[in-house]
Amino acid sequence: MSRFAFSVLGVLAALPAAAATIDAQVRDSGGAALADAVVYAMPASGPVEARGARTAEIEQIDREFVPYVTVVQTGTSVAFPNRDPILHHVYSFSQAKPFEIKLYSGKAPRAIVFDHPGIVTLGCNIHDWMVGYVVVVSTPWFARTDASGRARLADLPAGRYEVHAWHPRQRAQLAPAALGLEAQGVAAPAFVIDAAPRRPRYKPPLDRLKY
Amino acid sequence: MERDAAAGSSRRLGMASLGTRLVLFFVALLVLVQGVGMILVYRSTGEVARQATDQALEQGERVFMRLLEQDRRRLEQAAALLSADFAFRQAIGTHDSGTIESVLRNHGARAGADLMTLAGLDGVVLADTMEVSRVGHPFRFPALLEAARDAGKASSMAMMDGHLYQVVVVPVMAPDPIAYVSAAFEVNDALARAFAQLTGLSVSFVAVGSGTWRVQATTLAPEVRDELAGALAGVAGSAGVRELSMGGEAYETRLAFLKTQGPLRLAAVLQRPVAEALAPFRRITATFLALTLAGLLLLVAGSLVIARGITRPVERLAEAAARVQQGDYRRHVDVERRDEIGQLATSFNHMLDGIVSREAQILQLAYEDPLTRLPNRARFQEHLAQAVALARDARGRVAVLLFDMDRFKGINDTLGHPVGDQVLREVANRVKGALAGGEVLARLGGDEFAVLVSSRGDERAAHSAASRIHEVLEAPVAIEGQVIDIAASIGVALFPGHAEDPASLLRAADVAMYVAKRAKSGTSVYDPRADERRREHLSLLGELRRAVEAGELVLHYQPKIALEDGRVDGVEALVRWRHPVRGFVPPSEFIPFAEQAGYIGHITRWVIDEVVAQCGRWQRAGLRLRASANISAHDLRHGDLVGHVRACLEREGLAAGMLRLEITESALMDDPRSAQSALARLRDLGVTTSIDDYGTGYSSLAYIKQLAVNELKIDRAFVSGMEADQRNAAIVRSTIELGHNLGLTVVAEGVETDHELAQLRRFGCDLAQGYHFARPMDATDFESWIARAGPAVARGVAD
Repeated sequence: MSRFAFSVLGVLAALPAAAATIDAQVRDSGGAALADAVVYAMPASGPVEARGARTAEIEQIDREFVPYVTVVQTGTSVAFPNRDPILHHVYSFSQAKPFEIKLYSGKAPRAIVFDHPGIVTLGCNIHDWMVGYVVVVSTPWFARTDASGRARLADLPAGRYEVHAWHPRQRAQLAPAALGLEAQGVAAPAFVIDAAPRRPRYKPPLDRLKY
Repeated sequence: MERDAAAGSSRRLGMASLGTRLVLFFVALLVLVQGVGMILVYRSTGEVARQATDQALEQGERVFMRLLEQDRRRLEQAAALLSADFAFRQAIGTHDSGTIESVLRNHGARAGADLMTLAGLDGVVLADTMEVSRVGHPFRFPALLEAARDAGKASSMAMMDGHLYQVVVVPVMAPDPIAYVSAAFEVNDALARAFAQLTGLSVSFVAVGSGTWRVQATTLAPEVRDELAGALAGVAGSAGVRELSMGGEAYETRLAFLKTQGPLRLAAVLQRPVAEALAPFRRITATFLALTLAGLLLLVAGSLVIARGITRPVERLAEAAARVQQGDYRRHVDVERRDEIGQLATSFNHMLDGIVSREAQILQLAYEDPLTRLPNRARFQEHLAQAVALARDARGRVAVLLFDMDRFKGINDTLGHPVGDQVLREVANRVKGALAGGEVLARLGGDEFAVLVSSRGDERAAHSAASRIHEVLEAPVAIEGQVIDIAASIGVALFPGHAEDPASLLRAADVAMYVAKRAKSGTSVYDPRADERRREHLSLLGELRRAVEAGELVLHYQPKIALEDGRVDGVEALVRWRHPVRGFVPPSEFIPFAEQAGYIGHITRWVIDEVVAQCGRWQRAGLRLRASANISAHDLRHGDLVGHVRACLEREGLAAGMLRLEITESALMDDPRSAQSALARLRDLGVTTSIDDYGTGYSSLAYIKQLAVNELKIDRAFVSGMEADQRNAAIVRSTIELGHNLGLTVVAEGVETDHELAQLRRFGCDLAQGYHFARPMDATDFESWIARAGPAVARGVAD
């Protein structure tokens, strides 16, 4: 079950550039702001490949993936630096990008290029509780909601877009919101995602286990 | 004897039953105690067994649940391990179905799972180790998938194709769930057996579907298996303990419901045969029974021994008591015990001794005369009876000597009873000393003694004994300075000959003794004729009574002649009996008998009446004669003789001096005291008295002097003996002189010849009577005699 509403506020001559902005608000079904949700806008014209090398970084700090959710444009190379004094073994069995970086510490031996759009779930073969998500989108316009559930997509050329919202614990895929952006227009779509609450998986304390 | 035997057997029976009672009591006691114990043990063991069973079932259920949980965990762990396997996850991620299936099989075999299934997040089966055809179809238990997604794992008992399985489902995390892996093992008989081995119970899994029970797995034997469902059908579908009967055996049964998925209800049935729980207690019961039996045997044996220990001595005591009952006091009971029975036996023996000594005392009292220490009459009669019996059997002879002391009454009266007793003792001692062996002396009573001559008791032996007795009694007895003459009259009776039985023999001796006494012969042997007379006397008594009333008695009168002038001085009245059949009966025949029978008083009174009346008649006819009447010693003691005499005299108006009463010297000596007072009273009345038969009674002159008598009559024996023996004449002469010296008139009796008359006259005798003058005549004859011969007599005397 999905539901969205949006309003377009036409603010003409208010901004000098011709770019439009999407200010999305994501809430859960209880009405609370939902962080770590990914909002991205797919232009009706089709996927947009990245131009030039784009990189991103997903660290492992205190046996967690940081950030928890990462959004990258297709073709982005993501590094997995290990900030912990212990080894990690990052893997993904996701169809969008199955990979495996075997036991390593410090800088990962290689960066992973996410060249197919899709959701990639990251895990660590050593630490079962470690989970992270890489959302690979074929658009440069994407954002991740902050603690207040907001995500701003800026510098969008006017045109028609499908705005997608996704959350790692969502129970169902939300249908994209189709909207047209005028130059310097601002769209403020609101998304309600039925997401399960984050259940912290058991993580043994370090000092006791001395990995 | 027969009765004794019966009593004996019943006593023995009583003894036996005493022992039996003891044994029965102890046996009953033991049986009661053991029985109660048994019941208690039985009850409590039943309860304990049930409780133990319940406990075992409860414990078994805990163990069972734990085992089930362990198996489930093991399965879960296996599934979890699988789900975490990198290669497996990789295979899932890469949809490498071949690898997936091989990994499933590998892990399934490792975990002992019967079925491994992989399902996608959408619930569609990706791989199945049992049924490849399931791939692409939905997972059988979608609820388990949901639960596993939410909780990280899920498990349940579940039915698949009619088989019961323990199913676990865990998600495959990468690190988010990418699939579900399910592991299952079948709950079958083998599993039940494994559980049964660990719980010690029989284990069954039953499914409840639409109200019917179906046994899915069990350790029960096939034939009982089907019964379980039926037995369970009867019970409410609730957990708890109950007893079920299957295959003819009772089972304590505990139902435990298991966690299941969906509409399926599943229960574990844990059972234990009640018999199995009771088995150890049955063994205890059997041991208890065996102990009881052994105890019973020991007890019976022990009680018998104890009972015998009690009853044997008691029987012996009872036998001893029976002996005592039959008069055997001599045998003591053997005492060999120190317990109560021993004390009883000792007391019993003391009692026997007591009885013996007391019996001896009683015998002594019964058979001994306390005064002389001689056998008494009873003892003598026993001796006599024995001797007679013996003599009868052995043709032996027995003599009985009976004697009493002459004039013993006089000794008692004048000297007192203490002296009389001493005389008797002295007599006893002397006679006893004089007796030979085979002669027994006894005191029969009063002054009467008897001697039994039992060995060769013929007449000679009897005479020998009698003469010895007379001999020892010749010497006078000196007591307290007094010298007392003693003499005995002995009657002898012999067996056989005089009597045929002891009592008759004694009576015969008695008769003989009376004869001896009367005849003053010292000793007299029984004469049947004397006895005959005696018998006649007895019949005479009745006739004598009649004679007094019918006037058969008459008085004859014999004149007393005064020798100085020949006149008739008076008459002596003599009683005669004219018996209508016997004719004339002499006074010597009936007077002593009347005295003996105590009838003499009547005769005396009749005589006095008659004499006084006759005297009065004569006086009125002008014939003044003093009349004498005889009285006996008995008359002096009994009845109011003096009063009667006075009444008679007054009635006739006769002067007292006209009556003279004569009493024999021996009568006076028999009872001197009564005689003395009676004579004194007669003298006061004015009646004169005379001592008759003087010279036969051995009375001393000093005694005569004290008596208030007027006349002395010399016994006819002296008078008629004067002619032959000068000594008699001397006695007569001195007696006459003596009488005169005492102021008494002297009369001579039995004068029959002129010579006698002449001598008497010469001696100065006052009066005489006898046939020489006249025989006794009746009143009429006397009157004619005096009219005719009276003056002639006077003349003759005067000559």
